[in-house]
Amino acid sequence: MPSPDKRTPTPVERMIVAASHLVEDHAVLMVGTQWPIIVSLLARATHAPGAVICYEGGIVLQDMPGRIPLFTADPVVQSCAAFLGESLDTLGMVLHGGRCRMALLSAASVDRFGNINTTCIGPYVSPTLRFGGSGGACDFGSLSPRTVIVMEHDRRRFPERVDFITTPGYLDGGGERYRAGLRPRTGPYAVVTTLGLFRFNEAGEMILSGFHEGTDVEEIRGQVQWDLKVADDVGPLPSPTPLELDTLRRLDPERMYLEYKRLLEGKEISL
Amino acid sequence: MTVRNKVMTLPEAVDRFVRDGDTLHLGGFIQQQPFAAAHEILRQGKKELVLSICAGMILADQFIGAGAVSHLITTFCWNPLPATAHAFVRAVTRGIPRPIELEEYSILTLNLAYFAGAMDLPYVASKTVMGSGFDSENSPDGAKNRLRFEISPFTGERVCLVPPIRHDVGIIQVQRADPFGNAQSWGMLGESRYGMLSCERIVVCAEEIVDPDVISRDPNRTMIPGFRVDAVVEVPWGAHPSPVAGYYDMDWLYFAHYERRTRDQEGFREFMDKWVYGVPDREAYLGLMSRTRLEALRPDPRDADPVPYGTFSRHFEEARDA
Repeated sequence: MPSPDKRTPTPVERMIVAASHLVEDHAVLMVGTQWPIIVSLLARATHAPGAVICYEGGIVLQDMPGRIPLFTADPVVQSCAAFLGESLDTLGMVLHGGRCRMALLSAASVDRFGNINTTCIGPYVSPTLRFGGSGGACDFGSLSPRTVIVMEHDRRRFPERVDFITTPGYLDGGGERYRAGLRPRTGPYAVVTTLGLFRFNEAGEMILSGFHEGTDVEEIRGQVQWDLKVADDVGPLPSPTPLELDTLRRLDPERMYLEYKRLLEGKEISL
Repeated sequence: MTVRNKVMTLPEAVDRFVRDGDTLHLGGFIQQQPFAAAHEILRQGKKELVLSICAGMILADQFIGAGAVSHLITTFCWNPLPATAHAFVRAVTRGIPRPIELEEYSILTLNLAYFAGAMDLPYVASKTVMGSGFDSENSPDGAKNRLRFEISPFTGERVCLVPPIRHDVGIIQVQRADPFGNAQSWGMLGESRYGMLSCERIVVCAEEIVDPDVISRDPNRTMIPGFRVDAVVEVPWGAHPSPVAGYYDMDWLYFAHYERRTRDQEGFREFMDKWVYGVPDREAYLGLMSRTRLEALRPDPRDADPVPYGTFSRHFEEARDA
């Protein structure tokens, strides 16, 4: 991994910055754990100082946290909150109540129609691999007008159809989502990865909309498991500006996200 | 008012109020999870439990790996590093040490189920999870749960009906409680209030037992009124390694240690033999760690300003002529 003082952004830094560009100033955000935490804080620290950050445990943030939260229940967030309540406050009255503009989620895998799987590989009752499960993700994706999915790109994580729909996208496309009963004008808005930016067409199918410096359309088409459609106006994504990169690195000086230091890999642990 | 002093030891509270086969709710959304009480339940060998816990985390993982759970109601089970909750995965994929039935929800639907349970509502209708793997009509091979899907008589649209979930017994770790059980909690509350209030019997573990006057000077902070509570236990650090607002941080290193040591069933057993079965109580558990390191988990002080509640001793006085 490049050292933090290099001016060249890493793929993860490009992903975070590109995702932050999707956050509008003053938008009310439901922020999931992992990448959405740092994406939303970067947006707050740059072009969207008025963005309202809500977490599923019942938190509405006020000030920038004194250390980067390692997950959305990191105790640091209650030292900088405007509101500390219950899950029924944020998931219920903000999200279900229709007061949220955008939800940000990480995902284990996502398919052609933006359905997310964070539950299992193989049949639900006898899975070959099992992940953590929904948490609030299913509610985010069910109810948010716009859902943005942020994840590192790996071909295995982009199947044509996920084994289990933890979080509904456009299901099988073509209005299936709304026939299932989910509200109109909700659903996946974009997927941002370490390779590029994807949006969704009228039918609810994921299309390639932009690519990061160092990659191209053909490489990305080879990195999903279906015949990926490409937007007419596909093009390179803007590179992070020096100010954005600097702000991002100051948000995470210990490289908890930027280099996975929070996993403590290779470190001796003495309790 | 005559009120009963409910203070007792943790072994006594668990022995009296947790029974084999109970539907057991462990409160605390990531924070304030009652690890000390949970370990005592395991030490007393309670079995065939239906465990209901909104944030499964490593607390559910320990119950599952210990074989104490036959059925798990939850919304997720993982180690927040993020990493796998290994015992949970062993049970679900390979039936080790025993198979468990899963009853999975999203956080909003489980919160609504606890809300409905606390009020004994027949159900609550919502617009979430439809079309997902939690929607049994759309995904017959999907997650097993008790959600139902119907057409709303009011709007004619498809809605998700959430059943009430009620529990035999519930336990949570709070900041403070008085001897009668009035339990005060602050910080991020998650599902705590309705989860606990949907329980028939309630055990409150507190960082501190305080004078009833402390409670009545700030009654807005009371999460569980004392008349609902059966037992009060003072257990400092009782939620470790999960955090308690104002008292201690999440012990990230402990979560990483747990992840490494429990990757196979033998490692899991060794872990539990050391940290749960090999210690008689919380004091001994804490003694397994560096006190300096634990004290470093304490936050820097930062207090709320007192708020005026005021008091009154008379009714109105008629206006007097000047």
